[in-house]
Amino acid sequence: MSASKISARGCNVFYGDTHAVKDVNVDIGSKSVTAFIGPSGCGKSTFLRSLNRMNDTIDSCRVEGTITLDGENIYDPRVDPVTLRARVGMVFQKPNPFPKSIFDNVAYGPKIHGMAKSKSDLRDIVENALRRAAIWDEVKDRLDAPGTGLSGGQQQRLCIARAIATHPEVLLMDEPCSALDPIATFQIEELIDDLAKNISVVIVTHSMQQAARVSQKTAFFHLGELVEFGDTDDIFTNPSDPRTESYITGRIG
Amino acid sequence: MTPRSRSLFAADPQIQSRKRADARFRLYGLAAILASLALLAVLLGTVIGNGLGAFQQSYLTLEVELLESKLDKTGNRDIEEIKKVTTFGYDPLLTAAAERLIETHNIQTDLRAKDIAKLLSKSAVSDLRDFVVADPSQIGSTVSFDFLVNARVDGYLKGRVTRESIADDKMISAEQLDAVDQLVAAGALVKRFNLDFILGSDASDQRPESAGIGTAMLGSLAMMLVVLVLTLPVGVAASIYLEEFAPKNRLTDLIEVNISNLAAVPSIVFGILGLAVFINILHLPMSAPLVGGLVLSLMTLPTIIISSRAAMKSVPPSIRDAALGVGASRMQAVFHHVLPLAAPGILTGTIIGLAQALGETAPLLLIGMVGFIASTAPETMGDALLAPNTALPAQIFEWAKRADPAFYERAWGGIIVLLVFLVAMNAIAILLRRRFERRW
Amino acid sequence: MGLLISAASIAILVTIGIVLSMVFETVHFFRIYDWTNFFFGSTWSPNFRGDSELAILPLLWGTLYISAVALLVAVPVGLFAAVYLAEFAGPRVRATAKPLLELLAGIPTIVYGLFALITVGPGLVQLFGEGGFFGVSWMAGASSVLTAGLVMGIMLIPFVSSLSDDIINAVPQSLRDGSLGLGATRSETIRQVVLPAALPGIVGAILLAASRAIGETMIVVMGAGAVAKISGNPFEAMTTITTRIVSQLTGDSDFTSPETLVAFALGISLFVLTLGLNLVALAVVRKYREQYE
Repeated sequence: MSASKISARGCNVFYGDTHAVKDVNVDIGSKSVTAFIGPSGCGKSTFLRSLNRMNDTIDSCRVEGTITLDGENIYDPRVDPVTLRARVGMVFQKPNPFPKSIFDNVAYGPKIHGMAKSKSDLRDIVENALRRAAIWDEVKDRLDAPGTGLSGGQQQRLCIARAIATHPEVLLMDEPCSALDPIATFQIEELIDDLAKNISVVIVTHSMQQAARVSQKTAFFHLGELVEFGDTDDIFTNPSDPRTESYITGRIG
Repeated sequence: MTPRSRSLFAADPQIQSRKRADARFRLYGLAAILASLALLAVLLGTVIGNGLGAFQQSYLTLEVELLESKLDKTGNRDIEEIKKVTTFGYDPLLTAAAERLIETHNIQTDLRAKDIAKLLSKSAVSDLRDFVVADPSQIGSTVSFDFLVNARVDGYLKGRVTRESIADDKMISAEQLDAVDQLVAAGALVKRFNLDFILGSDASDQRPESAGIGTAMLGSLAMMLVVLVLTLPVGVAASIYLEEFAPKNRLTDLIEVNISNLAAVPSIVFGILGLAVFINILHLPMSAPLVGGLVLSLMTLPTIIISSRAAMKSVPPSIRDAALGVGASRMQAVFHHVLPLAAPGILTGTIIGLAQALGETAPLLLIGMVGFIASTAPETMGDALLAPNTALPAQIFEWAKRADPAFYERAWGGIIVLLVFLVAMNAIAILLRRRFERRW
Repeated sequence: MGLLISAASIAILVTIGIVLSMVFETVHFFRIYDWTNFFFGSTWSPNFRGDSELAILPLLWGTLYISAVALLVAVPVGLFAAVYLAEFAGPRVRATAKPLLELLAGIPTIVYGLFALITVGPGLVQLFGEGGFFGVSWMAGASSVLTAGLVMGIMLIPFVSSLSDDIINAVPQSLRDGSLGLGATRSETIRQVVLPAALPGIVGAILLAASRAIGETMIVVMGAGAVAKISGNPFEAMTTITTRIVSQLTGDSDFTSPETLVAFALGISLFVLTLGLNLVALAVVRKYREQYE
C-alpha cells in the first residue's frame, strides 16, 4: 500500500452549536477502498463531506483542523473548492441524475472543466466513463434519453460515471447503495472494486457486510469520534475498542 | 487516465476565468435585488414627497365684520330671512375684511382690496355663510376667521407654483404674490395641518384646496363591509366542503380549476360582469357602494377560498381522527376542532383579500364610482350602501384626471391614506399569523 | 351540507355569469356589427356618426406590445432577483429583501398608474422628448408604450420573482450537490442544472405574468394613451383592450349602440386570452410540481 492520499489531523466539524465531528485523525490510502461505518448520526457522512469541502455549501458549518490531499491543506485559503472537487469527486446517497440526457449528464463535468478539446474527444471521455461505470452496454443505444428515466441502480451507476468522467483521484461515496435493491448493490460493489485499481475510494455505509466486502481499511465512528481505524479484517475479527465490538455484534447502532 | 500532479494552490487560468464568471453572475443577482429595492424606494419616495403636501393647507386669517345691514336687513334674526341672502351678499364683507387686513399689516400693494380677497378659496364665502346660518346671533359682531386660500397661493407656499410658472396664469398675478409674501411675513397667512383633507369630501374643479378624501373613505368602508359579510361565510363554507367533504370527482376538479383560474381573471372583467348583471339586469343603482362591494366580493372570493383551504389543510389529520375517535360526527369534528384551529389562518387570508379589494380600481370605473363629485357624506347606513359614492382608489383616479396640478397633490395624498390602510391591514395579518402560528 | 356545496359552486356560477353576461351582449354586438371587421379589420375609430370602425387588432397590438415591454423588464430582473435570493443570499438578506419585494407586490395598481402618469411619463419626455437630456425628439407626449410598459414591468418584478423563488426552491438540493460535487461553480450549477430543472415552472410563471400584464387596466389607462394604432415605435402612445373597455363603458352608455356593445366583445376576447394563458400556465406549473414531489 502506497503513502496516504488524504490525511486528517485534529479535524473538528461544527453545525452551529452542534459538535458533529470530534478531533478525527485518519489517513486514507491511495488506490484502495476505505469504509466509514457507525450508527446513524455518528458524523461519518459529515466527515466525508468535509473531505471535498461539500460542507462549504452549508452556511452554519465550520471545519477546524487540517485535512491534506497529497500533503496540501485543502482548507488553505488559497485553495479553491472548485479545483479540489475536480480532484475529489462525490457520489451521493440518492441517485441524482440531472434532468438532462444520459450523455449530457456524463459530459457535464468534463465540459465545465474544459477537459475535451473536441466533440469526438468528449464522446470518448463519456464512453470511457460509462464503460468504467459498467453501464455502457445498457445505455449505449439511448445516450439521448433522459437520465431520470433509468432504473435506480442504473441511475446510481450513471452518477458514478458522471463523477469519474472528470478523472478524480479520490471518489467519495455517501451510502451509495442505500436506495438500491440487492442486485444493483452487488453491481455497484463490483464497480467499486474495479475503480479502486486506479483511484482511492472512500465509502460511507451503514451496512457492515458491505464494508467487509469492499474495503481494505475501515474507520468506525461513534458520536462524532473516530473510535477505531485499521485494516478491515482486524476491525471485524478483532476489534480493540469495546464500542466497536458492541456495534459489530449488534448491541449498539 | 491522465495523472495529475498539479498543486491545489496553483492558480489555473481556466479556474480563474470560471470564478470571474461566477462573481459576475452573482453580481447580476445582487444588482437585480438592489434595482428592485431602489425602485420601491423611488416609488415610496415619490408618493410621500408629492403627497405629504396634501395634509397641509394654507389659511389666511381675516377679521370679518358681519354687518347686519348686509345679512339681516330686517334685524329680527329670522333664520329664513337670513338664508335668503346668497353667497353674493357675503362678497362685500370679505372685501371689507381684506381692506382691513391691508391696513392692519401695512401691506404695500397697488392692488385693490377686491383683488386681495381673490386670494381666498372660492369656498370662503360659502363657509362664511354656513357659519352665519348656523349661528345667526353672531350677526353684528366681528369674527376672526381662518379662510382657505386658493390653490395657486397654497401652491406658491408649497413651492409648486413659482413666479415663472404663473406668467400666463389668469388666476393669479405677480402683484398678488408680492402681497402674499408680505402676508406670510406678517403671520396672517400660514400653512398648517389640514384635517379636512382626511375627513372632507371632494370639491369641484375650481376648488382643489377644499377637496378631501373622507367621503371616499366611507365609500370604501361600506364596500369592505359588503365584501366581508359576503365572502367570509361563503368562502369558509366553500373551503370546508372542498377540503373536508368533497368527493374526488370530475365536478370537484372542475370547481378547483375554476377557483384558481377565477383568481387570475383580470379585474376589469369583473367590472363588466357587475355592469351587465347588477346594473343592467338587476337594476341596482349606479355608483352605489353596494354594487362595488358585490363586484369586489366576487373578485375576493377565490383568494379567501384558497387561503382558507390552505389554513384547513395545515391542521393535521390526527386532530380530525381524535375527534372522530371519541364519537364526533364529521360535521362536529370540522366545526368544533378543525375550524377553530384554522381560524387565524382564515382570518389572515381574509384580511389580505380585503386589502387587495381595497386597492382595486378598474372594476369600479365601469360601475360608475368615478367621475362625479361625492360632495356630502352619507348619513344613514342605507345611504352609505345605496347612495352614489366613490371609493379611495377611484377618488385618486378622479383627481389624477383633472387639469389643475393642485389635484395631483391630492391624488398622491390620497395614495398615502390608501397605503396607510393597506400597511395597517397587512400588519394586522402578520401579527395574527405570528401570534397564532402553530408548528405541527 | 347542501349549503356547503352551493357555496363551493358559487365559483362556477360566477364564471358562468361572466361568460353569459358577456356572450349575451357580444351576440347583440355582432348582430349590428360585422364580426369579420371586428376580428380582421385594422382600424379602431369609434364615433357618433354611425360609421364607427371597431377592430380589435390595433388594440391587441398595443396590449401585446406593452406587455412585452413589461415582461422584458420584469423577467430578467425578477428572475435574477429570485436566483440571488434562493441561491446566494444569506438568511438575513433573504429575511429583509423578500418581504420588501412582497411590499412592491402589495401596492395597488392605481399607485403605479399615478406613478406612470405623473412621474415616469414626464420623466421619459425629459429624457427623450424635444429639448430633452438626450437631445432627441422621439417622444411627443408623456403617454407611450414605454411609459406603461416600464411601470407595468416594475409591478410585475415581485410577481415573477416570488413565483420563480418558489420554483427554484423546489429543485431538490441533491441536484445542486451533484453538480457542486463535480467541481462546478455556483453559477455553473445554477445555469446548467438548477434553471434547466426549473424551466417548466419558470415558463409557467412567465405565462402567468403575461396574463397579468394583458389584463392590467389602471397602468395603461393612465400611462399608455388613447390612440389606437399599429406601430413599432415604443415612444408613441398606443392603446389597449382594457383601456378601450373602460372608455367605451364609462360615462353615459347607450346599450344599443355598437360603440358601447363592442366593449363586451373586447371583454370576452380578453377573458378568453387570459384564461387560455392561465390554463396553460397552471397546467405547466402543476406538472412541474408533481415531478419533484
